[in-house]
Formats: sequence, structure tokens, C-alpha cells
Amino acid sequence: MNNQTTDELLLDWQERVGAARQECDPQSLLDMIPYAAFIGAQAKVDDQRLLYWLDKRASNIGNPSLPAIHGGVIGGFLELAAAIEIIYSLDVAEVPKVVDFSLDYLRPGRYKTIYASCKVMRQGKKLVNVSAKAWQDDEQTPIATARCHFLT
Amino acid sequence: MAFDMKMALVRPALKYALERNGHGAALGFTLDRVERGETHLTFPYREDLVGNPITGVVHGGTIVTLLDTACGCSAMTVQKKPSVTPTMDLRLDYMRPAQPHKPIYVEAKVYRQSSNVIFCRGVAWQDDKENPIAHCVANFMKVDSQSIQFRSIALKKLRRLMPWRQDPINDVGAK
Repeated sequence: MNNQTTDELLLDWQERVGAARQECDPQSLLDMIPYAAFIGAQAKVDDQRLLYWLDKRASNIGNPSLPAIHGGVIGGFLELAAAIEIIYSLDVAEVPKVVDFSLDYLRPGRYKTIYASCKVMRQGKKLVNVSAKAWQDDEQTPIATARCHFLT
Repeated sequence: MAFDMKMALVRPALKYALERNGHGAALGFTLDRVERGETHLTFPYREDLVGNPITGVVHGGTIVTLLDTACGCSAMTVQKKPSVTPTMDLRLDYMRPAQPHKPIYVEAKVYRQSSNVIFCRGVAWQDDKENPIAHCVANFMKVDSQSIQFRSIALKKLRRLMPWRQDPINDVGAK
């Protein structure tokens, strides 16, 4: 990976993004991001939207006495989901840069699968606003909501 | 500065809980300094935490976790009876992309506590603290429940480790 130039890497990235869009396979985008594998994030197309999920794993626990998922993992997962949403559904050439990220924790993340979905609220010339929601049992009772801005 | 007995007990407990457990152990940061209402930590660069495969910059989620951990750790130390503090919300501003192959330093401070809420500020930097990569504000709830106090969590753990001493330790916990 290190002996490739940035331009080559970018071309390779764009090629893979194009392929992922054509094949409706958002998971192949996650496979390119090492952080996604580290927390175990997965994605699929579900009912005309993208659904992300994070299976339970011991290395994501924040509070072992409950046990509960680490708040930072929930935050990182939602930020990752928002970035994938932009790469997959909007026409952007590069990896979007995150500018700010605001997260509200509504309920503790129990030790089971977390689901997430995102919505692009506005796409400007430079700035994109995405809102993301994470839930476990019921989509109507989210465990966390997030809002983030990306520069594209 | 006077010797703070409670902090001397809480410090190793926090270090153990955050560095050796769950996601903290998976990330591999070190808590350099824990004082009452203040936490410093260092995080080495890791290639498996990259978020941008083109530039090799660590993923923002890693920085969220580091700041959340540092702010949470600071919040836990200011309570009268040290206990776990649930996060209410967290806001992060990314000032600049982190440079690859360099460690990230994080500092978090409690700047105000009211009767129910603990307000924290955190900053992450690489070369220059005045030129940070990210800044965050996080608010934590003060929950007065025995089940999440450090004391009861430690006793629960002890009981699990020494089942033959079930009764005497139970007595201590009940006092």
C-alpha cells in the first residue's frame, strides 16, 4: 500500500466506489476502511435505504459491570455510517472530511447488536449535513442520535 | 498539594477499568495522569484504526472514543462517591486532520458541576497543544445509584474472584 502514490490510491478508491454503487454493495466500501473492521461494522441495502449494524463483540464493551457498549464505539459507528452514506449515495470523488459531530446518548447500549440508519439532510456545494440514528430492539426507541457535518 | 487519599485509591481502579477492559484494551491507550477532574492520555498511531485509506489518517471514531473516555474519566473522579457517569451528549469539532504515524495526546477537564450534571471539556493534539486536532464538550449525568458506585462494582468483582468468602464480603458491602 505504501509504494502506491496518492493519485493511484485515489483512482483505485474511485473505481471501487463506482463498483460498490453499481452492485448495490455498501459492505465493500466498509471493507476498505480499517476502522470498520476494528469495531466490526457491517452494512447492506434494506428496503431502499442503507442499514448498518454492529454485532456484539467483547472488545467493544465500555462498562463491563452492566455490560454496556462503549459510548465511543457508538459514536465512531455512527460517524462511520454517516461517511459511508455520503460516499455511497452522493456523487463525491474523495473521502469526505468530518468537520463536527454531535452525539446524544438516549439509552445505554446493551450488549447486543446495534443498528443504524442515516439521512442526508442537506447537500450544499461543499458541506453535507447528515443525521444518524442508532437503535437495538425497536427503531422507535433509539439509543443514540447524531448529527454531523462533512466537507466533500 | 495535600495527599488525596481517595484519588490514590480511585486512580489504579480507573487505570485498570479503562486500560485493561473491553474497548479501552482493544484501543491500547495509556492514562498518563489522573487527577481530580483532570485526565491526560496518550494514544499511539495504529494502522488498523485508519479511516481514510488514501491518506492513512485515523478514523474520527477513534478520536470520539479517546475524548469520551478522557472526559468520562475526569467526570468519574469529581463525585463524592466515585461512580460510573453516563454520558448525556458529546460534541466534537475536528479542527484539522490528524497526521498519520504520530501519537495523539488527549487532555480532559471538568469545568463545572451542578447538582445533576458534570460539564467537561476535552482537547486532542499531536505536535502543539495550542493547535489541536479536535476539541470536545461532553456532559455527564450524576446518578445516585449504589449499583454503579466503584465500591459496589469492586466488591462484586471480588465476590466473583473469591466465592468461598461469599458471606464476610457481603457483610462489608451491606454496611
